[in-house]
Amino acid sequence: MATVTPALWRRWGPWALGLVGALAALGLQTQLYTGQVRTVATIFMFVALALSWNLIGGYTGYASFGQVVFFGLGGYFAAVTMTHLHWSFWVALPLAGLAAAAYAVVIGIPLLRLRGHYFAIATLGVAEGTREVVINLDGLTGGGGGITVPTVGAAAATKYLGNDGFYLVYLALAVLALLITGLVSRSKFGFAMRAIHQDEDAAAAVGINTTRTKVLTFALSGLLTGLVGATYAFQQVTIYPERLFDVEITVLMVVMVVIGGSGTVLGPIIGAVALQFLSEWLRQNYTTVHTLLLGIIIIIAVILLPQGLVNYLREARRNGDYSLLANVRRYRL
Amino acid sequence: MAQGLRRSRTHLAWNDQVTGFLQATVYGLLQGGLLALVAVGFSLVWGVMNVVNLSHGAFVVLGAYVGWQLNISLGLDPFLGMVIVALVLFCIGYAVQRFLINLVVNGPIFITLLLTFGLELLLVQGMNIVFTANYQSIPTSYAGNAIVLGGIQVPLGRLLAFLLAVGITVLLVKVMANTRIGMSIMATGMDRGAARLMGIRARHVYALTFGIATALAGMAGTMVGTVGTFNPAAAGGFTLLSFVIAVLGGLGNMYGAMVGGLLMGLVQAWGGYYLSGTWVNALAFLVLVIVLMFRPSGLVGKAFYAARVEV
Repeated sequence: MATVTPALWRRWGPWALGLVGALAALGLQTQLYTGQVRTVATIFMFVALALSWNLIGGYTGYASFGQVVFFGLGGYFAAVTMTHLHWSFWVALPLAGLAAAAYAVVIGIPLLRLRGHYFAIATLGVAEGTREVVINLDGLTGGGGGITVPTVGAAAATKYLGNDGFYLVYLALAVLALLITGLVSRSKFGFAMRAIHQDEDAAAAVGINTTRTKVLTFALSGLLTGLVGATYAFQQVTIYPERLFDVEITVLMVVMVVIGGSGTVLGPIIGAVALQFLSEWLRQNYTTVHTLLLGIIIIIAVILLPQGLVNYLREARRNGDYSLLANVRRYRL
Repeated sequence: MAQGLRRSRTHLAWNDQVTGFLQATVYGLLQGGLLALVAVGFSLVWGVMNVVNLSHGAFVVLGAYVGWQLNISLGLDPFLGMVIVALVLFCIGYAVQRFLINLVVNGPIFITLLLTFGLELLLVQGMNIVFTANYQSIPTSYAGNAIVLGGIQVPLGRLLAFLLAVGITVLLVKVMANTRIGMSIMATGMDRGAARLMGIRARHVYALTFGIATALAGMAGTMVGTVGTFNPAAAGGFTLLSFVIAVLGGLGNMYGAMVGGLLMGLVQAWGGYYLSGTWVNALAFLVLVIVLMFRPSGLVGKAFYAARVEV
């Protein structure tokens, strides 16, 4: 019988844990009420979104504040093709992801030359501009009035999946995002991404093709976000540009990644689960003030754990210092 | 004779077009001056502290509500009440920077972005609870009256708002260039380490800068509330507009914000006059992205030092 050596554990342990987690999530479904299934499905959706933002924002260090553009584009691609061309959802879904990835390449080539705030605002501008285009192409997209995907009768190429169906799709997307993040973070490509984050000029000097790495990462991140957006559009049945291109979705992705720990595999998952769970709990118990409380929680979390939970625990264990006060001093003026 | 009639008719139509164009231009310039005041504080904070303040729009709306409340409870004219609005907003802004944003100001960009986003949620939702989500407007007896110049209407309220907005911006530039406070703000923005060695208290100066920015936002908000309507949900729109204007003008460049604001006002007015639907918004963001790609320091001269380092 083979023993588990530390080296073996480091190599395969995380994969085993991921597998156990995915199977547990599958088993969880049988134990939930109908209402809870939908809530947990939303948590998986945000896990997938947070992991996809983490690729470009966490590992590569390019704060994409217009990430929702891929969500909206994927959603509208699926909705428009399913409504006008009567495509099956299973055809529309992968192609919506590819369309989002292609868009990421097109806007990434010029925009990824910008750094810091400038990249953040340029992507935000692209997202807002794309939303306006979607609103104004009302023959195709229904404009501000929204578009409704046929889900019943002869017009529906794919029957509505129901709460249980979407639970599985979101779970599959979260697992896919986790798989890609896990593979990337250990590959040479992942090291190139981290090198760009730390010092882009130095990365270029040691022979990393920074443009190609950045654009590919952006495309990968756009692909995953687009897939989630397409699923979301089908789940909502009727979609509106205001909702599908909502800046708040981007911000939620960023908040989840930063609170959990950016540039780690586990951080975005923890952040997404914790924040979505908390947000849902607040919504149910403090309906009128839940956004207000969420704002306060974000402020406190950012001040106390600016580097995210996972990174904080890692550093604290290494230094043997768990004081949060030292943590606050780090970025203080 | 029939031919003469036709000629005069086309002449008339052409005349109408000119009047329409001029009316749109006047409206755009008046609106642009006000937009400049909305954005100038945002640009200042970004330029001096390298903080993108996502709660800026919420402070604009808060200013509008404070002005509205003063008008409701004390019957104060909004253009006079603006002084009190500025004082209130300055105190809030000073405290927010001193006790909140200063705690993370040295962090990476998403940290400050997230903190100010949390602040925005807090302020907008707080205003929703206190003032409800209904649209409000600050009434005056004169703002709706218009001066008519050669067929072109100039609403009095908008004219007053424009003149005040331009006046305040010019005053701000003078204060920045000629007073000790202004110079210490500029010095801290250029090189914080060196400024501290000269005995400038950076924490205090940052808080002052943020307070000035929120005071300006509040005054702009009161005027926005006088010439139009507002509700808490408008905050995000003002933040985004400030983004675009600050980038067009060059970050931290106050005259640049003026030019960016006027440009934005004109684009909106002309677009609204000639384009159908909301294509004008798409156009505005296209302009933003193109400017970022080719002239990230803004259309007018140079961006302020701190904001330029990163490019």
